[in-house]
Amino acid sequence: MEVWEALIGPLGFAAKSLRRRGFHSYLAFLGLTLTVATTTFMLLIGQDLATRLGIDSSMRSTFGMSWLIFAYLVLALALISIVGLLSSSYLVSSMINQRMKDIGVIKAAGALPRRLLSYVTFEALVVIFSSSLVGALSALLIYASWSWPSISLYKQVGPVPNAGATALIVVPLISFLLCYVVASVRVRRIVGSSSANAISNQLSSLDLKSLGKPLRIKRFGSAFNLATRNVSRDRGFNGMLLSIGICIFLSMVVLSGALVSADTSASYVSRALPPHVLIVATSNIYNQYVSLGTSFSRTEPVSSINYLNESYLISAQNASAFRAIPGVETVDTRLITMSSITGFVKAHFASNQDTGENINTLIIPEVETGTTQALIVGIDASNVIGDWYTSDGFLQPADAQYTMIAGDSLVGNIVQMPFNLSQVSAFNFRYDVKSALVDPLNAGRVLYAPVQTLQRNLGVNGYNVLLLKVNSGPAVLSAVARLASSYGLMAGSQDPILRSDLAFLGGTWSYIFLVPILALALTCGILLSYLATNFSRRFNDYVVLKILGANVWYRLKLLLWESWGVLAISMLIAIPVAWAVSIFFLVPDPSVSVADLELSTLVSALALTSVSLATAAVYSRRLGLTTAKHLKP
Amino acid sequence: MDPQDEEIEERAPALAVDFVGVSKEYLVNGKHVKALASITLNVKEGEVAAIIGPSGAGKTTVLNLIAGLEKPSEGDVRVLGLDLSVSNEHALSAFRSANIGFIFQSYNLVTTLTAEENVELMMELAGWSDSGRNGKLTAELINMVGLTDRAQHLPAQLSGGEQQRVAIARAMANDPALILADEPTGNLDQKTGLEIVKLLSRLKGEKGKTLVVTTHDDRIVEMADVIYRLENGGLGSVDRPVRVRS
Repeated sequence: MEVWEALIGPLGFAAKSLRRRGFHSYLAFLGLTLTVATTTFMLLIGQDLATRLGIDSSMRSTFGMSWLIFAYLVLALALISIVGLLSSSYLVSSMINQRMKDIGVIKAAGALPRRLLSYVTFEALVVIFSSSLVGALSALLIYASWSWPSISLYKQVGPVPNAGATALIVVPLISFLLCYVVASVRVRRIVGSSSANAISNQLSSLDLKSLGKPLRIKRFGSAFNLATRNVSRDRGFNGMLLSIGICIFLSMVVLSGALVSADTSASYVSRALPPHVLIVATSNIYNQYVSLGTSFSRTEPVSSINYLNESYLISAQNASAFRAIPGVETVDTRLITMSSITGFVKAHFASNQDTGENINTLIIPEVETGTTQALIVGIDASNVIGDWYTSDGFLQPADAQYTMIAGDSLVGNIVQMPFNLSQVSAFNFRYDVKSALVDPLNAGRVLYAPVQTLQRNLGVNGYNVLLLKVNSGPAVLSAVARLASSYGLMAGSQDPILRSDLAFLGGTWSYIFLVPILALALTCGILLSYLATNFSRRFNDYVVLKILGANVWYRLKLLLWESWGVLAISMLIAIPVAWAVSIFFLVPDPSVSVADLELSTLVSALALTSVSLATAAVYSRRLGLTTAKHLKP
Repeated sequence: MDPQDEEIEERAPALAVDFVGVSKEYLVNGKHVKALASITLNVKEGEVAAIIGPSGAGKTTVLNLIAGLEKPSEGDVRVLGLDLSVSNEHALSAFRSANIGFIFQSYNLVTTLTAEENVELMMELAGWSDSGRNGKLTAELINMVGLTDRAQHLPAQLSGGEQQRVAIARAMANDPALILADEPTGNLDQKTGLEIVKLLSRLKGEKGKTLVVTTHDDRIVEMADVIYRLENGGLGSVDRPVRVRS
């Protein structure tokens, strides 16, 4: 006698039942294990990435960019968790539904409801517990064998101990608890219903509304018409459609969201540092400006120089000479300097409504928010080059003289929201903060102010940097270089700064793209579980068709229509909604490449379609090996 | 040869089912289990053959071999003139959908299709694409089994007897030369079983179909032209009740 046979009580019942149900037990175990393993692994990777990128971007980048990347990662991981948990609960529900008839038989045989409940719930628990455990261990093994040291981000940041440890415990635990709740509720409901209903569960799984008016499209053939009737009359069809639709929607948000976020972050940089711009300055200031521009993508600190040295200044007359060069469209005259700044929140009134109808008006005194070094850039608002992403617009010629726009790395510490209450003190003058912008210059620790105000405050007459927006003709650069040389200045393109910053962003996003790719893999796994569960449930009908003479092509077409049909409807609903969410709700002022979105949709559709085709092919093959002996009574 | 003998041989009905030395082995848990041991079985066209025997004797295996659902381990299986041992899967499917009707003990109607749709499906599988004609024939068959008012019901909404009547209508839908019935009254009570036996006898009498039936039901055995008894995988004895009675 085998060990299984010797077991008694709930454990014996569970062990024998699971062993004898063979394929269906493995399917439930495999589906749950895969879901738990993939979700846990993805959260481990995601947490690790978030930690590394957080450390990495705190050393460079800007607050706005780091926030965008971090927010995306958090959102992606949250959505992946939902996909994983949704899938686990669906699989458990399906597993219990398959036992409905047996539960009815045991109940009809006289088993006490409480005992029956404990036996069946224990059986489900065995599968749930073992799959959660194996899933978590598999995730840990894959994660441990992941070759981080070969990835440059690892070299930059070094090992991060315990990154993802939370995911390793939390995901399997939540998954286990959720599955347990779903299982016990489902079992309780079945045990609570009458034995007759539980035994004749066939009717309760069918939707009778479409009887007598089936959808028939003659040109698609008999297999299509049978498939439409099979799925439309399945009471679980809407639930399955909804589950698959939600999974596809969430993974598409993660995928297209990554593309939109990557495109948008690149556009923020491109807008701040547009192409076809020449930098004209003395060699020292030129090199310093390049260092400030690339500080977004480098960890080395920017060296300090005296920006206001007399020899670095360019007169207004010399600046205007550049405007006369054919091909020069705009001359952006700037005065840049590094200074210590102090932030304030202005004194203001605040209303405080107590529990009654009384409204108390309070005076909040001025608060100092801190002091830091920041780059201050004086600009002429009517000739500025750059179209930054701003919260409330850039400086306008009509703005008050003492107005500043703050770089994103100053927001949240020196500069507080709402901006109309925020002030910055520089050179002993107070400036009102109008807005904030995303700017790679000095890694976002930058303030823009009207150049005339700055010149007056600093007692300087002239500029130290000129930015020239030029057309793409090659003659312009040499003409500008010649004129610059005649004034003892240096001229060069801003494009290398833009390329360096975009390359850094591209590198960062290339790590993050691992998350949507794995999310797509998870969705493929979930689709596989859904389809396998449904094919298994209807397998008897397919065997009947085979016996009656349905040839291999007919059977394959039937399975394909059923699997791909469900997938196609889910995708038709989920993908446009995911696009809309990614484009309109995920990031502010998004930049969207239609080609990227089309590519992501194509990749997803191809991956999911491949899974549905493969599942149909596997079941068709399995069907080929069955005979009348495999028919269930 | 005597010319008169030649004439008799020409007029003699052809064999619908011809098993010669057929054996079938299965591999169960790594062990070879012999389901059929070198049996020879002949059923002539228009005959009703009853195969009787205890459970596990190999009755369903015989039906599977006739339908081409399984291949023999040894021997030749020829059904309606086609050698099934050498036919491929595609040819066997086409053969089944065109020539064979099935009646199962557990009815095995497609659960998502109504009674009418189950019958019509068989015509579609046989490649009959004229939906108007199929609809008319379906109505006739449903009427023949007395279920006109239940045509739009799902199998789960029908009683066992009604489901088996639908199964008989389905077995007739492709106008097959051969009908295989696996214990068709096994799941039914006496009265309902009798209705099914009457329907089967109509198939024999009015439609002239060849029937191979595995059964424990005496009423079906009574109706049979030839009876085969299967025991422990072997064809133990052959009784011809008509001759016995005469």
